[in-house]
Amino acid sequence: MNYESNTAAAGEVGAVSWRSSNRLILYGVVAILLIIAPHVMPDSYWLRIYTMTGLWVMLALGLNVVAGFAGLLDLAYVAFFGVGGYIFALLSSAQFDIHLPFLLVLPLAAICTMGIGIALGSTSIRLKGDYLAIVTLAFAQIFKLLLLNLDSPIDITGGVNGIFGFDPINIFGLHIASAHAYAYLIWLAAVLVAAGSFRIKASRIGRGWEAIREDELAAEAMGVNTTWMKLMAFAGGAFVAGAAGCLFASFQDSVFPNNFDFQQLVIVYCMVILGGLGNITGVIVGAVILSILPEFLREYGAYRMMSYGLILIVLMALRPQGIMGDISFLSRKQKRPDKDETGRLRASTDLYYESRDHAAETRQTETQFFKTNRIMLELKNITQDFGGIKAVNNLSFVLHEKEVLSIIGPNGAGKTTLFNLISGIYPPTQGAIYFEGAPITGFKPHRVVRSGIARTFQNLRLFNNMSVFDNARVGRFCRTNAGPVSVLLNLPRHRREEQETDRKTREILELFGARLTGYRFDQQAMFLSYANRRRLEIARALATDARLLLLDEPSAGMNPQETIEITAFIKTLRDVFGYTILVIEHKLNVVRSISDRVIALDYGIKIAEGSYDEVAGNVQVIEAYLGRKRQ
Amino acid sequence: MNIYLEQLPQQLINGLTLGGVYALIAIGYTMVYGILGMLNFAHGEIYMIGGFTGWWVLHLLTRNNQVIMNSALVISLMIVLAMAVSGLVGILTERFAYRPLRNAPRINLLLSALGVSIFLQNLVLTYQGAKVRVFHIASLIPQDLRVFHVGSTVFSFMRVMVISVTFLLMALLTVVIKKTKVGKAMRATAQDIEAATFMGIDVDRIVVVVFLIGSALGGAAGTMVGLLFTQVDYYVGFQAGLKGFTAAVLGGIGSIYGAMLGGILLGLAESLAVTFLPSAYKDVVAFTILIIILIIRPQGLMGEKIPEKV
Repeated sequence: MNYESNTAAAGEVGAVSWRSSNRLILYGVVAILLIIAPHVMPDSYWLRIYTMTGLWVMLALGLNVVAGFAGLLDLAYVAFFGVGGYIFALLSSAQFDIHLPFLLVLPLAAICTMGIGIALGSTSIRLKGDYLAIVTLAFAQIFKLLLLNLDSPIDITGGVNGIFGFDPINIFGLHIASAHAYAYLIWLAAVLVAAGSFRIKASRIGRGWEAIREDELAAEAMGVNTTWMKLMAFAGGAFVAGAAGCLFASFQDSVFPNNFDFQQLVIVYCMVILGGLGNITGVIVGAVILSILPEFLREYGAYRMMSYGLILIVLMALRPQGIMGDISFLSRKQKRPDKDETGRLRASTDLYYESRDHAAETRQTETQFFKTNRIMLELKNITQDFGGIKAVNNLSFVLHEKEVLSIIGPNGAGKTTLFNLISGIYPPTQGAIYFEGAPITGFKPHRVVRSGIARTFQNLRLFNNMSVFDNARVGRFCRTNAGPVSVLLNLPRHRREEQETDRKTREILELFGARLTGYRFDQQAMFLSYANRRRLEIARALATDARLLLLDEPSAGMNPQETIEITAFIKTLRDVFGYTILVIEHKLNVVRSISDRVIALDYGIKIAEGSYDEVAGNVQVIEAYLGRKRQ
Repeated sequence: MNIYLEQLPQQLINGLTLGGVYALIAIGYTMVYGILGMLNFAHGEIYMIGGFTGWWVLHLLTRNNQVIMNSALVISLMIVLAMAVSGLVGILTERFAYRPLRNAPRINLLLSALGVSIFLQNLVLTYQGAKVRVFHIASLIPQDLRVFHVGSTVFSFMRVMVISVTFLLMALLTVVIKKTKVGKAMRATAQDIEAATFMGIDVDRIVVVVFLIGSALGGAAGTMVGLLFTQVDYYVGFQAGLKGFTAAVLGGIGSIYGAMLGGILLGLAESLAVTFLPSAYKDVVAFTILIIILIIRPQGLMGEKIPEKV
């Protein structure tokens, strides 16, 4: 899944970066096609198919937000479609003699459906993926049972017979009654949903979802409010489904329980999977294919649902990225870093030294910042109890502003647990943590990041299928605020934020010189070398505007040369850029050259604290590492 | 109130029968979940296929409304063949739909399972039609054995038979898991699939065994429900699957004993609910229980107490 989404991302980034004249031509062609299409349909039957195709496109795009962008298996999607349909049916018909105008019912239906979606989602979204699937499936069943049975004692849903005969749509005096008018209305809605999908995917929200799908914990630790973001995707899907249900009910002029059956759900899923989860263009193509193809295969109708099942199985096994996954002409032309303008091959070492010199020139090197005596982070009697095993035991220490403090200790001493406690991944069993004087104990990781603490992971948790640039941009998530509305309307505030995000991210990546910029900019994180991945982890943490960095073994797995480089870089971070740094490190020469102070842990207890020489000479520390001398 | 008390023993019996069947289905879910961490959506269809197999066995062994063999033999054949066919289908789905995705993201596996479910359901629809198949059990059990009364409670022969077979199968499964070498391998694989591989356990084989056992039990449940309620159609798997899953979650998914307990509790809850509510809402009760359990105690009733999971 990760794989296809990425190629998809590449495709769409490419589409956005086309020159604007090309884009205008594309828009023009699409508009002309959509205007002409209803009039070239051979008969009313095909016109109906055409209109239904628009509806399927809309539905598939809505599902793509939930399942494709956020990776949630929402099996109540078609039930939400039904909720929208029935809301329209109840509020715009003779059923209860309520006749609200369509322009009021449509948003009302969409928002009510979204409300139901939020209610259902908030109960189950913190559960694991498959539980969400089951809760939503159960909801879909309850919904259908209610539709079928709420015809007595009071007739609400009309039972099996459904509800029919709705008020005609009247939009400011424009009557939508003819088949052509419906075709335009529904395709207009589909186009709006498509445009919205593109916008949201390229925004901070889209990147947040992609990060969650890649690695939920890392996303949370980089400042993405995962619960809220997943709920937003769920609600967004329900919103589109509700609106689609409303349009469908009006188009069909009736609603029946089996319009919103498990079958329809499977069909929408097949469309999304066929196109590729998260791939907007692909999903549109998938929806069009699966809407039209069955018309040509009508004599094999009995096999239709069976083949949908097969499509799911086969695609998942052989081509999970969907049919549109690897179509290359859509993706941006790759810059070839190893060739110069004339097309001549260049040695990679040339490239390296060239850009390094360039970086060295621009980088300031004089020391500007030193350790101060203001307390930045304070831990008071922190204990973490894992069912009897105290990984961190009654630990207290302070960290001063612009100080580099190293934590050392043998394996299992509780160093990484300490980081997990500070960054909010576990709430401590006991004790309190203060950051710049304010308590942050028990904060969720994304709130910790927001208050100014960012971390790296010992065992590298990058968003592997996202580009270097996007990885770092995720770090900006907690410093931006654009909500779905300002993204969809592309409000100036959102545009400014995006520009700011891009500028800051570039600045930070340029600190690393050619290691992370140049052609590596658009490379997926998984293609980076090990040392560069470590650098990218630091870059991602810097992008959050953190004042305190928690670096978990920044030099692990690096060769001596790279270790020297990263050591110098950590020093620069404090001396030149003024970051406060808490670092876990095993290589004692690194510890010696960077730290102002060192704390040694063993079995979760602080056994020594002081300057490097004091700690390194401490008997208890030596014993913890080497064992006790035989008496 | 009195009338409810009078009905109580009857509803308990009904609930126990239903619950036993749910437990059998739940075991299939829970075993697969315990090992692969996946939700086998297709399990309901495997149950349905078991029901159809049972129907065909009975149909082929009936001439002129009279079974051509000893009834006990016919019933055993129905159950055994249903278990065999369902087990086989289970193994095939594992081999072709799940094994290629063993290392894929979770949502892909779930979608593939959804695909299997749709495929099997519509395969049966295409080749067996949509009409309800009726089990002609009249000739299977002599009139005088069919029901017997204890006080005002009616025991039907079928219910007693279903309860006994269910508990027999569960006992057998317990023995297999506790006492045999393959059971030990299953427990190890459920704990840590990678470590099990390193200890020389052929994990692929264990997964096949798990699918075989889980699906066979589902198939047995399918046939027994057919015998009880005398009908089966292509769509029964959907509801039954959801019920079985509810039972598994209720008991704590991953725990076999939890699945047994959850099934029985769910069966009892449903039949007691029917005394108070219109029967159309029986399923609403089950799914509401599911949603509530998932919200307030997602690890299920026995999710913590029994860490042993297979």
